[in-house]
Amino acid sequence: MGPKEKLPAHRVRTVILPAFRKVGLVPLFQQWSSSRPLWICLSRLGSLHLIVRGPRFLGEGSVIWGNYVRIHPYPARARRNRTRSAPIPGGIQRIVNLTLENASSFTALLELPATQAVELLHLSQSEEGTQAPPSGDIFQGIGDDHKPYLPSFDGNLTFPSNRALIEAAAKFSVFAAGENSPETSSVPSNSSANLGKVKSEPAETDSNPNSSQPLVPDPTVENKTQRSAKRKEQRKRAKGLRRRARTRALKKLRKLPYRHSELVAARREKINARMKLLQELVPGCSKVRLCLLDYAAFNNGFVPVTFSQKRCFCGKISGTALVLDEIINHVQSLQRQVEFLSMRLAAVNPRIDFNLDSLFATEGGPLVDSNFPSMASLSTVSRNPIQWNREQYQQQCPFDALHQPFWGREEDNHTFHFSRELPFES
Amino acid sequence: MTPKGVTLKSNSRKMKFARRFICTLLQMRKPRPVSLSIEEVRARGQRIKIAAYWSMAHAVGSRRAWSRALLFKLRNRARYQTIMRRRSPGLKTKRVIKNDTPGELSQTKKLRQLVPGGKTMDMCNLLEETAHYITCLATQVKVMQTLADNFSK
Repeated sequence: MGPKEKLPAHRVRTVILPAFRKVGLVPLFQQWSSSRPLWICLSRLGSLHLIVRGPRFLGEGSVIWGNYVRIHPYPARARRNRTRSAPIPGGIQRIVNLTLENASSFTALLELPATQAVELLHLSQSEEGTQAPPSGDIFQGIGDDHKPYLPSFDGNLTFPSNRALIEAAAKFSVFAAGENSPETSSVPSNSSANLGKVKSEPAETDSNPNSSQPLVPDPTVENKTQRSAKRKEQRKRAKGLRRRARTRALKKLRKLPYRHSELVAARREKINARMKLLQELVPGCSKVRLCLLDYAAFNNGFVPVTFSQKRCFCGKISGTALVLDEIINHVQSLQRQVEFLSMRLAAVNPRIDFNLDSLFATEGGPLVDSNFPSMASLSTVSRNPIQWNREQYQQQCPFDALHQPFWGREEDNHTFHFSRELPFES
Repeated sequence: MTPKGVTLKSNSRKMKFARRFICTLLQMRKPRPVSLSIEEVRARGQRIKIAAYWSMAHAVGSRRAWSRALLFKLRNRARYQTIMRRRSPGLKTKRVIKNDTPGELSQTKKLRQLVPGGKTMDMCNLLEETAHYITCLATQVKVMQTLADNFSK
């Protein structure tokens, strides 16, 4: 009963939607199962079929393992177990028809309480809904826990052989097969369109606008012969439809890699655009094209060229590589320039205090005259903080003013010294 | 006050950088070296370089990934240095990066190393940031050049 019990994998099975693509373990979140209760039924092999309202990619035949859902690679194979599933407009999927060949009791039984099931599907009233079915032990557990994938399940379950119930379920299945009666409550078309799934059984299913109608089978009418005939028809139809669905699915599958390539192409385009932008920025990058032209002029298909040569001459890779090389060189050179200039400034820096007065006292000074226009405004804009700095500085160390002439004297010597020592002080 | 015939763009990146850089330079002037040796000059140059980068990153702001990375790095520089000091030399030798075969891959790696914060970017972002970084470096170089020219006059 506890929520942490796990069912054996072959016992639990979700029957959801035929159209899904992904294969793998998917976490079955609490929300899926607790907020949206499902329809549960047992197949004749004794496996639990859970109908989960889940994300789109959950499919028929996927198996719940504890908190995970193993998604079945081929939903068609699950359908070969003669379980047909159909979507319902809210995205809820449920079984329409279960296997009834052996007329095994429990499948039919669990199928039957249709009204409650519908209620279940639409709201999370699992507790009222699940208590009704005859093998109530499982369902109560489910309803209480709100975790339909973790019911306590022991192999020796006794399924009550309620004859009438079995018959009713069988008739229901026949209805679903043969006639387009509104009671079948299979697929409305819009749901499949909404979910982007393969439309399965459009002819049968489109006639049902109101799927929420309770399924009321009348047990008096049907004969067994009729049933079998109808079943055969149904099978034929289903086969054709299955094939159609399969081809559609395959088509969709085939489209997938193309989409991937499109994505890759878009990314490549993006990178190429950035590369072009960088080429414009970096001055030496026009060489690359020249190089390519050179190769065209140079080779003409006669001269044998080694692979590496080819690689450096032509081709996209080499082009991008060369551009990258240029970019790297440019960045490095700029960084070196910054380093060099900072060293130069450091060597020159002692003069700043010396020059400051002359620089900022005469506003038409060297800063304005320089060919760097914004520096002119710099002298005015940054005047205040500098002056403030200077005053503060002088307040902090008053002896500095005394040393100023000394500095002026010293500084020439120093600059001379550095010009000899450091090569960049030309 | 403003000189005539010169367009003022006080909010341009160049201006911001220049202002900040000069401010930092003036702050750095405080501990005045009495006698300048080469080592001192080098240390000073290092500091000025860092100041230049810092002011550039500040001028750009935190909108760009590279400036963010740079600011972060500079802010945590002291901590990194202490960590590096504490580390045993054996660990350092283990961390030597192997050079790959020359090709595009190693080039992108190089570029990642050059652009601050490039190690965490993907290719598209890296190129974009590189473009921006290059422009910023160019302006930085220009400003520093003019400053150096003016001061050395």
